[in-house]
Amino acid sequence: MDSYRRYKRTGWLAAAILLVIGAFILSLFLGKYPLGLADLLAGDTQAGKVFFTLRLPRTIMAVAGGFGLGAAGWVYQMVFRNPLAAPDVVGVSSGASAGAAAAILFLSAAPALVTAGAFIGGLLAVLLALGLSALAPGKGHGTIVLAGVAVHSLAQTVLMFLKLAADPEKELASIEYWIMGSLNAVTLTKIGVPLLVCAAGLVVLFLLYRQIQILSVEEGEARLLGVSVGRMRLLVLLAATLVVTAVVSVTGLISFVGLLAPHTARLLIRENGKTALWLGGLVGSILLCGADMLARSVAAAELPVSIFTSLLGAPFLIYLMMRRGGWE
Amino acid sequence: MKRKHAGSALLLAAVLALSLLLGACGGKDGADGAQKDTVEQDQPGTDAAGEKDAALEEDGSAGTKKDAAGTEGEEGSQEENPGDGSDPSAAPITEYPITVTDQLGREVVIEKEPQTIVSGYYISSSLLMALGQQEKLVGIEAKADKRPIYSLAAPKLLELPSVGTAKEFDLEGCAALAPDLVIVPAKLKETIPALEELGLTVLAVKPEDRQLFTELAQLLGVATNTQGRAAALIANGEEELAELTRALEGIERPTVYLAGNSSFLSTAGEAMYQNSLITQAGGTNVAAELADTYWAEISYEQLLAWNPEYIILAAEADYTVESVLADEQLAECAAVKNGHVYQIPGQIEAWDSPVPGSVMGSLWLTSVLHPESYSPQQYQQAVTEFYEEYYGFVPEI
Repeated sequence: MDSYRRYKRTGWLAAAILLVIGAFILSLFLGKYPLGLADLLAGDTQAGKVFFTLRLPRTIMAVAGGFGLGAAGWVYQMVFRNPLAAPDVVGVSSGASAGAAAAILFLSAAPALVTAGAFIGGLLAVLLALGLSALAPGKGHGTIVLAGVAVHSLAQTVLMFLKLAADPEKELASIEYWIMGSLNAVTLTKIGVPLLVCAAGLVVLFLLYRQIQILSVEEGEARLLGVSVGRMRLLVLLAATLVVTAVVSVTGLISFVGLLAPHTARLLIRENGKTALWLGGLVGSILLCGADMLARSVAAAELPVSIFTSLLGAPFLIYLMMRRGGWE
Repeated sequence: MKRKHAGSALLLAAVLALSLLLGACGGKDGADGAQKDTVEQDQPGTDAAGEKDAALEEDGSAGTKKDAAGTEGEEGSQEENPGDGSDPSAAPITEYPITVTDQLGREVVIEKEPQTIVSGYYISSSLLMALGQQEKLVGIEAKADKRPIYSLAAPKLLELPSVGTAKEFDLEGCAALAPDLVIVPAKLKETIPALEELGLTVLAVKPEDRQLFTELAQLLGVATNTQGRAAALIANGEEELAELTRALEGIERPTVYLAGNSSFLSTAGEAMYQNSLITQAGGTNVAAELADTYWAEISYEQLLAWNPEYIILAAEADYTVESVLADEQLAECAAVKNGHVYQIPGQIEAWDSPVPGSVMGSLWLTSVLHPESYSPQQYQQAVTEFYEEYYGFVPEI
């Protein structure tokens, strides 16, 4: 039985890696600018430029971003012991939205400023939520959820005010489009810092994976196992949030990846260990990369990527849920 | 764990393929809907065609030329179509009470010549100014101070109370002004019954393209007894366009990318008002293939693939010509390489929306794309004449 499980795990992991590689390559040669391998090899400078400053960064962002969202989603679900937990629980998404909206409204819709605004907004939200919960007398994970809900609604209120003040024809349109998420404006210069932050956060998460698993058991048990629950939880959440914030600050809000990917991983291999973390990330990559390919090629215009992440992910998840055995 | 995994994997693949398919089919509509719903625009001409269709369906023949002219007077005394009379002296006089059909297809009885008017939409406000009705305005739409035409043509209007925006209309504020006539954008359909409950006479307007604007001009000409001036205004625009058509006959049409107000990567497809601006000016809209009825987002790649000869920025764009010229992603684009990046002048009105002076936008663009056929001097002269004649000021251009 054990060796069977191990084979299954390795099998799915290998399949996911192959799919990610396949999606990556396909994504490199799919887009509005006519671009083939022949053009690149022939040394067409314009084609090369499009490839290296637009197509490649966009693909990398989709794969890395999907991985980050999927892995972070797993962490949130573990730490909060709640299958519905997502970055929103600690107010990250709404904080990032409010930050992006503020940048659009008060600075300009220049992508770099919006990215910075979203990053700062998301970070402020999570620091506020975690700070509040640390100050609260009760230290259960319920406190964090409550603090997160409060910060989330606060950020939503700020966002509402900003939208109200925005010019419907200009800033409001930018804000709404940002909230729907898209990789259409990803360029080489925009992804450097966010990817570094994302990678740093992921390394921390993978290093702390055992502690995360301990956090997912009952608090008393965790304490018995010698883990400083409160501090560890803060550290883990901070790392996961950094990952999410770094991704969404470039792409805008992307729904469902963080929720769907970890569940899909767990349903595939029917366990919740390190492999699930890896597989969750990889499923996220496939989902986001696939969704982005559709977003850029289904219609003449660019479509918001979130539409496709849920359209692709939801039926798959439902199938996994319905299949014999289901959730264990 | 005694299951056949090969079979399950196959099924998975099938489901994945199915959901891919689903995504491909369902995605577009979803996206359009989302964009439409989330962005409540004030700008006409950019309006969703879906909305337009729905409105037309429900009102039958609403907004056709004859209806909007509203010639079925209650007494049956009015027969002529005022739109045909381009000679102001021969213009028909409106005899009140009169029944007109507004742009939602509603039949509205106007009892007497309105002496006080509230206009809740910038296009109808601008049109009323052009019809010489600014003295009768007692309330206008919000954010009027952001539109230079008011301070240029009738600064007094800026002191008037605001009755809100197309999103939120101030019912009580409007009622407090007790106007003889209220003009609201068709988007405010829901508030009309409430206004009528308050005993107000309401006209809904929907000037989304040139044709609908013409109908609106005729409608307000009848409603405010300024049919002659309305007819002259319409004729003026048509003459200018006819002159352009003559000047541009057989000319080569350069490719143009029109960058939207909110972002450089948003643009106008064929269904939008801005598309007609480009065609009238003797250009080819590179984004004509887009079916979207609202600003559509595109990618840098798409723009580079289109490689337009000219890039034109919307009048109220948030970014500058310099920022486009300096964008390193665009360095290889023909328009940027040749420095052919311009912004539609916005110091008077947003000519890329169907305001009365919107033809000036076409004239300007023609003078940019084809200076040899239509010179910048001709454009300047046309603008000066137009705003002197209809708005009583000499524009600085």
